[in-house]
Amino acid sequence: MDELIGYLPDFLDGMLVTLGISVAAAIAGLILGFALNAARISVPGFTAIYAIYVWLIRGTPLLAQLAVIYFGLPVIGLRLEAVEASVLSLAVYSGAYFAELFRTAWASVPGGQLEAARVHGISRARVFWHIQAPQAMAFALPLLGNQVILTIKESAVTSVITVPELTMTAGRIVSTTFSYVMPYALLVLSYWLLTSSVAVIARSLGLRVTRHLRG
Amino acid sequence: MSTLPLLELRGVGKSYGTNRVLSGFDLRVQAGEIVALIGPSGSGKTTALRCMNFLERYDEGEIWIDGQLLGYSGTGRRESDRDSEAKVDEVRNPLSMVFQQFNLWPHMTVRENVMAPLVLGKKIPKAHARELADQALARVGLSAKADAYPARLSGGQQQRVGIARALAVKPRLMLLDEPTSALDPELVEEVLQVIRSLADDGMTMVMVTHEMSFAAQISSQVVFMEAGKIIETGAPEPLFQTPKTERLQQFLKPWFNRSLTPRTQAAPNPLEAL
Amino acid sequence: MMNDFSSRFALYWPALIDGALTTLWLCVIGMLSGFVLGVLLHLMANGRSRGGVACARVYVSFFRGTPMLAQLLLLFYLPSALGVDVPPVVAAAAALALNTAAYQSQILGSGFAAIAKGQVEAASVFALGRYNTLLHIQLPQVLRLTLPALICELIDVIKVSAVVSVISITDLMRVSQQLVSQTYRPLEVYLVAGLFYLLLTSLLSVLGSLLERRWRERC
Repeated sequence: MDELIGYLPDFLDGMLVTLGISVAAAIAGLILGFALNAARISVPGFTAIYAIYVWLIRGTPLLAQLAVIYFGLPVIGLRLEAVEASVLSLAVYSGAYFAELFRTAWASVPGGQLEAARVHGISRARVFWHIQAPQAMAFALPLLGNQVILTIKESAVTSVITVPELTMTAGRIVSTTFSYVMPYALLVLSYWLLTSSVAVIARSLGLRVTRHLRG
Repeated sequence: MSTLPLLELRGVGKSYGTNRVLSGFDLRVQAGEIVALIGPSGSGKTTALRCMNFLERYDEGEIWIDGQLLGYSGTGRRESDRDSEAKVDEVRNPLSMVFQQFNLWPHMTVRENVMAPLVLGKKIPKAHARELADQALARVGLSAKADAYPARLSGGQQQRVGIARALAVKPRLMLLDEPTSALDPELVEEVLQVIRSLADDGMTMVMVTHEMSFAAQISSQVVFMEAGKIIETGAPEPLFQTPKTERLQQFLKPWFNRSLTPRTQAAPNPLEAL
Repeated sequence: MMNDFSSRFALYWPALIDGALTTLWLCVIGMLSGFVLGVLLHLMANGRSRGGVACARVYVSFFRGTPMLAQLLLLFYLPSALGVDVPPVVAAAAALALNTAAYQSQILGSGFAAIAKGQVEAASVFALGRYNTLLHIQLPQVLRLTLPALICELIDVIKVSAVVSVISITDLMRVSQQLVSQTYRPLEVYLVAGLFYLLLTSLLSVLGSLLERRWRERC
């Protein structure tokens, strides 16, 4: 038991790595998803590319995508470190989900508003940024927090390519202490703590930002 | 000697939190009787009815069905004192119910709806249950719809299925909770006709209703309620003709048209006006 | 080059089919057990026992708030610590089942809520009993209402199942790892494996859309 307490700092390190790659990937994914959705709206013909991208990414496991990036890309000359591959893979993965999230959010803005803007000569770009985006983002905010949580959970598979995040750390402790249950129990508790905290933060942030809409 | 009543309520009451919706409710129903519960909305008449088969848990008084105490085994009346579901089912076995919203099961055909209480409730073998169901459906005039789904039926037909379902279990007493209130006016009569024929055959009933003329015609006892209490009770003729209490007189006004026909000299017979 | 690939593909094919079948039946078993468990969870969450409600809430929060991989590892190693030898397949099926049960309980919950209360009252008045009411009145309707959403969940289970490769179960993912170590062609093999997963999930997705056209729900 005491030696396990001795491993708590390692768990903390692992947690920081988990958070680090998750947040980095989530931010990248968010930007990617936003861009994908914007392109879908404004670039003619992009809808097909968008649909294929979302279909591919959401239709296959993250682990398979990670394997393609980390093990497969070197074949065509792109060799990435484990952490780099992980962040890239997580970003590409979450990007598809964020894109769909934004698509739904944009669809939630009533069409009549866009019509009203267009007939008054407001350009499509302005409609996007000044009319759709504010309302869509308010709609999307609670769901964004949820996607961050999903990214944190998905980051666990990166342990398979030896990224020193939480799951990898727990595995390392198991193989050095030969006690199996405690490390893995601590592992799930750590994730539970992480995701619950993010959920609480996201909810209170979301409430504060949408205060103006709830009269 | 007086015979044991089929259904008896003594001092029955119910509260929702601090809100007392029913209190001091007494009623005695003998076999063959038809009791009409009338009163304004919120008077507690539906609550009283739903206590009679323990759909609502009464927290004061006693309810006896055929000599057995319903819902409790002793004198405690708290949530923790209630009987097991099996015991409650056993005691309320002689009763069945017709609902205001019909409450048919939409994923089953009409016949299956009527058979379900027999097969699943009374554990009657399917073949026999089917016979009983078909008899009940014939009784309400819906044999032709036996294989249809409830969604395809009119409101009046759905309620008649509800009556068939309540009939097939061969109850000794039927509870009817505003059976026509959810129906379009032109569909009310077909349901009332079926209920009337059941009454003619001697079915014991307790019915909550707003159909005053119907209540006057078929009931043997009328109970007028307001604010959770019984205000007046008696046989329909004296009660409707000469209501004793001010509140009942107020309540029955729309059916007397006294205020609308000032030229009439003699006091109109309320039963005729209905 | 095409000839080479097609001859290699002929090599991959049987192994990948095997792996895909393992993935499929593992997920189906997990999904079905998870369904039963999900119904129980829903009943607990809406029951009269306050302890039961709390337990159900904690369960759902736990299994939805932690990664599948971590749950799998815990469940795999927990029995051995207690001295019980559990084959990896059982641990994997159990982990999938326990995980999906948490999600299914929420899906089914909205189905249960959509059934008018009066139907359950009528069932109670006619002495159907809780079990019969659940089996004959509620579940048939709940299934009809939630089937498209359940298919979505099955798709998620298939994707998440890839992690069972970590405890050496020869599912589609593990088979592709083995093929890579045999052929030294990671890009090709993993892309083909990805296509297999894509085929599985796409077929299910089409099924879901067909059902969704009949009933309102959507992924």
